[in-house]
Order: sequence, then C-alpha cells, then structure tokens
Amino acid sequence: MARKSGVVVGLVVAVCVAVVASLAYGAVSIPFGQVIDALTGASEVSESTSKIVLDLRLPRSCEAIVVGAALGVAGALLQGALNNPLASPDIVGVTGGAGFGAVLILILFPAQVALLPVGALFFGLLAAGLVFAVAWSGANRGSVSKLILAGIAIGAMFGAGTTAILTAYPDRVPSVLFFIAGSLTSDGWGDLKAVWPYFAIGFVLAIGLMRPLDRLSLGDEVAASLGTKPRLIRLIAGVAAALLAASAASLAGLLAFLGLVVPHFVRMAAGTSSHTYVVPVSALAGATLLLAGDTLARVVAAPIELPVGPFMVLIGVPMFLYLLRRAG
Amino acid sequence: MDATEQQTVTTPALTASGVQVKIGDKQIIHHADLKLEAGKLVALVGPNGAGKSTLARAIAGIQAISVGDVRWFDKDVAEMKGRELALTRAFVPQRALVPAGVTVRDAVTIGRSVHIRPWQRPGAADREAIDQAMERTGVSVLSERDLTTLSGGEMQRVQIAVALAQNAPVLMADEPTSQLDLGATVSIAKLLRGLADDGYAVLLVVHDLSLAAAVSDEVVVMSDGRSVASGEPLKTLTRERLSEVWGVSASLEVSGDERTALHVAWLEGEDRPVRDAGHSGEDG
Repeated sequence: MARKSGVVVGLVVAVCVAVVASLAYGAVSIPFGQVIDALTGASEVSESTSKIVLDLRLPRSCEAIVVGAALGVAGALLQGALNNPLASPDIVGVTGGAGFGAVLILILFPAQVALLPVGALFFGLLAAGLVFAVAWSGANRGSVSKLILAGIAIGAMFGAGTTAILTAYPDRVPSVLFFIAGSLTSDGWGDLKAVWPYFAIGFVLAIGLMRPLDRLSLGDEVAASLGTKPRLIRLIAGVAAALLAASAASLAGLLAFLGLVVPHFVRMAAGTSSHTYVVPVSALAGATLLLAGDTLARVVAAPIELPVGPFMVLIGVPMFLYLLRRAG
Repeated sequence: MDATEQQTVTTPALTASGVQVKIGDKQIIHHADLKLEAGKLVALVGPNGAGKSTLARAIAGIQAISVGDVRWFDKDVAEMKGRELALTRAFVPQRALVPAGVTVRDAVTIGRSVHIRPWQRPGAADREAIDQAMERTGVSVLSERDLTTLSGGEMQRVQIAVALAQNAPVLMADEPTSQLDLGATVSIAKLLRGLADDGYAVLLVVHDLSLAAAVSDEVVVMSDGRSVASGEPLKTLTRERLSEVWGVSASLEVSGDERTALHVAWLEGEDRPVRDAGHSGEDG
C-alpha cells in the first residue's frame, strides 16, 4: 500500500517539477517568479516573456502531458487486453499507419503541412481499423494471436509504403526526421484544439475499461463467469488505444517506446498489476517522462531544439533497466 | 452466508433439456439434459472429448447453444444479461491465468466486483464477503501473496474463492482437480462437498470416477456429445456402462467407511481403436 502511494506521490512531485522546468527553461531562461506572474497575468511581466510562457511553452507543456498520458494509457490498455507484456500501440498498426500518413503529407504535399496531424490521425486509425477488421472476422475471431499477427502484417504494409515514399524523394527526407524521431512543436494551441475530442473519447473509454481488464487478467473464462465479454472488451480496449496513440502521433510523431515501457515501469515500481492502479498511474508516468524529456531536448543544445524521442529514451531506459534487473 | 436462502427449495436451480452446441461446423453436443438443485452436487463425467466442458460452458452462458432449452431458476439463459448470469452462477475454469502482480486478495476482490458499482470502491459489506470467501476456502493466510507464488492446490482454492465472492447460489467447476496431487484433490473434494452441504447447487466436471462417486449426489454421464445416463453414482457407473462408454473393464467399489475405489483391469482386452470425432453422430 505504502509502495503504491509512494510511486504516485513521487510522480506527482516529478510532474510538477517538470511543468515548472518546461515553462522556465528553453532558448531563453525565465526566472520562476516571472513564470508565475505570466501565468497569473500580473502586469509587471514584459509582453515578450508573457508570450513565451503562455503562447509557446504552456501549449507545448500541455501537449507533452496529454501525449505522454495518452501513450502510457494506450500501452496499459493493450498489454492488459491482449495479456501480452510486449503489446504497445505498434501492435494494432497505429504507429505504421500514422507514420505513413505523416510522410505522405510532409513529402508529397509539403505545402499542406498544416494537415500533418489530420493525416497522421487518419492513417493511424485506418491502419487500426484494418487490423480489427481482419482480426474480428473468420474462425477464432477476436483471438489475441490473430490480432497481433494482423497488426504486424498491416503495420509492415504501411511501413513499406513509408519507405517507398522516402526512397522516391530522398532530398525531402530531412523534413520527416523529427516526426519519425518523435518531437513536439511550439506552435500554439491549434493542434491540440483539433484533436482533443479523440483524446477525450480514448481517456473516457480507458476509465470504463479498468475493471473489465482486471477481470480479463484472470482469464477469459473468469471474466465470462463475472458477466464480462472478453472479445468485446478486447475490441473496445483496442479502439481506445488506437484513438489515443493515433492522436498522440498526430501531435508528437512516433514515440511508441513510451507506450511499451511506461506500464511496465509502473507495475515494477509499485508491485501491482491491478488495472485500476496501472492505467491512471501510467497516464501520470507517461506525462512526466515526456514532459521531462521534452524540456531536456529544448535545453541541452539551446537554442537548437532536438527531437524528444531520443531524450525520453535516455531518461526512461536507464530507470527501466534498473527496475527490470531488480524484478523477478 | 447462505446464498441460496431466497431460492425456494422446490424450484430446480437449473434445467437444461435437449441442448445442442455447434462450434463452427462441428456439432459438439448432440443432445444433453441436466438438472441442478440447491444443496446437491452433480458430477458430470465422461471420456475426453465427450463434450463435458462444452456442455458446462453452454449451461453457464459462456458458449452459445444452437438448439435446446437452458433455464436458471426458470429463466431462459439466452435472455440473461452478463451481470444477471454472474449473480446466478459462478464458473471455475479448468485453467485460469496466473498474472504477476496480483495478490490473492486482489483476485478475490475481482470476483466480488459484480456487486460493486462501476465508480465505487469495495465497501464494508464487500470486504466482509471477500474475507468470508477466503476463509471458507482456507486461503486467508495467503491473502497478501502474489498469485504466481502459489502451488497448484492453493491456486485452485483461490479460484474457488473468486467464484464464492460472486455470491451466486450455483457453483460450477470444470475439472478443478485434474492438475492436482492426491492431497490437494482430496481437499478440493471436501471443499466442494461442504459447499453443497451449505446449500450451494454444485456442478463438478470431473474425470476421476471414484472421486465423482464419493462426493456427488448424482452423476451425469456424457458420451460422444450426449448425456447417456444419470442418477445415483453407484447405480449409474456400473461395470457395463464403464465398458460401454470408456471401453475399459473396470468396476467402482465402495467400502463401508465412504471409501471409493475404481478397480481397473489395466492390461486386459483389446485396445480401443482411435475414432475420428468429426465423423461421429451423423444425425447431428
């Protein structure tokens, strides 16, 4: 009990520190007091400082929190629903589809770069839709292995499409590097405003799925004994994860690592796999990790911004490996 | 504690008649009848592939029925919603998943979850029911242990505790002893018999005929997707029937102090040819 609460308290502190740091540091360092003044709208803050905090950094921090939370939750839902520790948003084809959508816009229609989030979201969901359509048809529909295999096959198809476009326009490849590596941008509230409903649906479904996933963890028959339909729960969990991961990819590119690792991190740190704990705490841990990683990515080589993906891995992997070594 | 008090003793808990089950194109159950009553333990026996588990799952509402009538307390199983079924019968599967990071108490709490509203945490009544389920099955001392650290026998008791926490008047167990050693088997047998004596209607799917004869009030024999006989164990599991259904020369014997034994002529007679189950029963 103490261990579980300890993890939550630690994460809350960490996310608060990360929020402050993300607002204060970057190309320009802003003293903590001025950050608070800007947030509260105090009059003595210069207009440029206020603009940096409110229009550039605050939306970006919010994006990092929402995207990190979404990926953590997506991973927790899929690992629970498929009862497979290797499950991540990759597995339902979302990553492959979103990558294809982004590359399509960035390379073939560079003038329409504003459509990037929509393209990534659309193709991410399309890929997931195809995976579910295949996995939920024919004999043995809705089985875990069928879903995983369909996901790998359809992911490979979109991956091949991505590679094909990249090889056809090698001179334009640099423009997609940040998307593929995973990175956030400081371009205001626009993107978040466009995709928040998808995040919202995903998070609401996730809350409703926590108890059914706990039942599923004791096996399909125990779940059925308790009046839960295992296949239906798997489908809903897949849809929720696809919505969350595709929306996340549309804002921050391909950060699938987060979805895989965060739920394990939570389970190992807290010593429980109860979904009523792991799902919400994965949201908190994912948000913390991405926000901290993004702040580092902006600060390390300031004023040059680096993609957050590698930095998040830099923070996340050593912690993860430490826990993995300790765990049985 | 008695979950069956509100049920009148005269209405059978379950009546299943003329049940047929098809999985894909394959007819698994051709015709089966079964009755369960409060306070009685019914053993469903039969060779491998006879359709015992499928019948149990169909009755439990986990597997769809193609033809036939299954009624729980006079209500058609097809019309019962998940939660209603969960409050009517609890199903202990043959093999449950054993997830890491889940304690015995967590697992039993999951069993209790049908009584807890979606946004609620377990209340005092729930905690009491959870404690009682663990106590009745003798797993209270294990309550903070991780499921992965349990022995087969302990895990099976926890499975039953999960089912008891459902507080349904009917308990169905699909071969709960098939993986257990003798001591653990005996303790599960005692537990299930005790639960029937407490007033639960218990259905036990089981391979071990001497166990079935010792604990059950009635056996139902399945063979090739049909329920071919039912009744008092010793009168039903006759030498002739064992030979007919299992193709083995054997006899069930009981000595005065409730000991049962299956006397088998292990090496006698011709070996039974292997049959292709797909071609059995053309009348489907």
